[in-house]
Amino acid sequence: MAALRSTSSRLLAAASRPAAGPTMFARTMASVSSATTEANPKGSADTRMKSFQIYRWNPDTPTEKPRMQTYTLDLNKTGPMVLDALVRIKNELDPTLTFRRSCREGICGSCAMNINGTNTLACLCRIPTDTTKEMKIYPLPHTYVVKDLVPDLTYFYKQYKSIKPYLQRDTPAPDGREYRQSKADRKKLDGLYECILCACCSTSCPSYWWNAEEYLGPAILLQSYRWLADSRDEKKAERQAALDNSMSLYRCHTILNCTRTCPKGLNPGLAIAEIKKSMAF
Amino acid sequence: MASIIRPTLLRQTGLAASITRRAASAAAAPTSIFALNSAFRSTVAKDAMRVAAFHASSRRSLLPPGPQVIKGSVNDPAPVPEPHSTHGSYHWTFERAIAAGLIPLTVAPFAAGTLNPGTDAALCALMLVHSHLGFQAVIIDYVPTSRYPGLRKACMWLLNAATVLVGVGLYEFETNDVGVTEAIKRVWKA
Amino acid sequence: MNSSRVGVRALRQAASKPNTFFSHNIPRLALANLQTRGAATTPTLKPEDAQAILAEQRKRRPVSPHLSAYDYGQTWFGSSIWTRITGSIFSGSLYLFSAAYVIAPLTGWHLESASLAEAAAAAPYALKSGVKFLLAWPFAFHLFNGTRHLVWDFAVGFNRTIIKQGSWVIWTSSLVTALGLAFLV
Repeated sequence: MAALRSTSSRLLAAASRPAAGPTMFARTMASVSSATTEANPKGSADTRMKSFQIYRWNPDTPTEKPRMQTYTLDLNKTGPMVLDALVRIKNELDPTLTFRRSCREGICGSCAMNINGTNTLACLCRIPTDTTKEMKIYPLPHTYVVKDLVPDLTYFYKQYKSIKPYLQRDTPAPDGREYRQSKADRKKLDGLYECILCACCSTSCPSYWWNAEEYLGPAILLQSYRWLADSRDEKKAERQAALDNSMSLYRCHTILNCTRTCPKGLNPGLAIAEIKKSMAF
Repeated sequence: MASIIRPTLLRQTGLAASITRRAASAAAAPTSIFALNSAFRSTVAKDAMRVAAFHASSRRSLLPPGPQVIKGSVNDPAPVPEPHSTHGSYHWTFERAIAAGLIPLTVAPFAAGTLNPGTDAALCALMLVHSHLGFQAVIIDYVPTSRYPGLRKACMWLLNAATVLVGVGLYEFETNDVGVTEAIKRVWKA
Repeated sequence: MNSSRVGVRALRQAASKPNTFFSHNIPRLALANLQTRGAATTPTLKPEDAQAILAEQRKRRPVSPHLSAYDYGQTWFGSSIWTRITGSIFSGSLYLFSAAYVIAPLTGWHLESASLAEAAAAAPYALKSGVKFLLAWPFAFHLFNGTRHLVWDFAVGFNRTIIKQGSWVIWTSSLVTALGLAFLV
């Protein structure tokens, strides 16, 4: 992996200057100092330069206010997704830019961020081809920022743990084998089990912004419903009792930013409505 | 139509009252204008600062969340509150039932054009409860107990007191005046 | 690639050997980038000390932008917040009016329906219609969107396109209704 990366960076570097000196000099720090940095010179005919405004904050200088830094890339030499652009900026323009990424195919949920006003996964979000407009990239809204685009999701995971996201049963399976489920019962979990806990929906919810301490937020409530809807789970009453207070569930006011933003096309708003309905009567 | 209902005497007293009020406010003006002006200027300046500063940082003035403090490690679950159905599911169902009941009560009297003291009283009662629950939700959302326990309690008691006062007011209006529906109709068509 | 690898290894060996000739001639930066860290130079931290450092760092973290950064079309025109705003306008005026009505005998205000109707009749047409519109729109909006929320509470209508279209329907129909109530009724 390391060898692969060094070859690619050398290939990219070779275009601009002779490949002299050891590999580690390929990434220059010089371009970081200016506010606007460009990967390619402007003016040539077959370039499509697009600007990216990215939220920056460095924990090493905590007194400095967060700022927006502009990077300009040639879209013809960049992959189609926002994550490609971010990786290219980090490789070629500014190695200090920090973001989470892993699978680059929308299954790990690491690269969740606020892109052009909407929370989504950078790896699933295409770069708009309109080069006149700048792209704005922020970390997930109303989260504590660790660095640049990396939010702290500790409390989110603690909340996930609090709903006991695992099968709870007291009785063994009747035939002593695995817990069976009818096809219809299994179908109820479709649209729920696919959630990757990227926190896009929770951090899009104004109610979660104001009350993240006590309100569980759409992602965790969708997960909660995933276990409430599971025919094999036997602790439905306990799970419902844990939600039956003014804060945990009922701070949801059906704003539906969650449903509109989910990068996996799931429907947290519907899941919460189902929980409320099942607890109402 | 209104001039028939209203005695000329009332109109005269109303006019007199408005004149004295205007005179009083004019007399008070020279002293208060400066205070008002400076207050206005300071808010304007503050707003301008906020607009300039909030581009990349969060808007501090709106529900500032305070520094991040996390109790326990990642492996400790967030605390689960005690179940309170009266604040949870019952409360929610009650809220929806009131809201659903208000739809026919607001539309029917105007659509039907008849005055019925029974429906009018029901409308007033439901409106009062609906408003109370709405304000309650606003307070719960924007004045969290964890950060402002004192202010939260004060807001809730203020709301309770206001609701009682408003209940008395609505009762007075219903018994001494023409009733909410009829009053709105008259003012609207005046 | 291989040649540069060899070069790196040579550098690394040179760094590990106490050879004065090499260490004087190689730029310091190259050595710093080799990432050969001695184990002794890293101070060992107890877990609780590490936690304390983390807790201290957490307190300095900024909160990422939310209302200013998030898509206005969703947070502001997604129409949910306007149910609360319009409701608060109405409940607020109801509370103010009723409270004023209670204390009206003491202050000498005339808040009877008759005097209010008279005041409304005396107002110029433009002002009257404007105020009527400003009252009719929140009413229509709150009624329509409240109904939509009640439908949602039955777990119906959560399709993304339906949500989007619904917002448009609510905005336009409430404006049309308000215009009708203000100018026709």
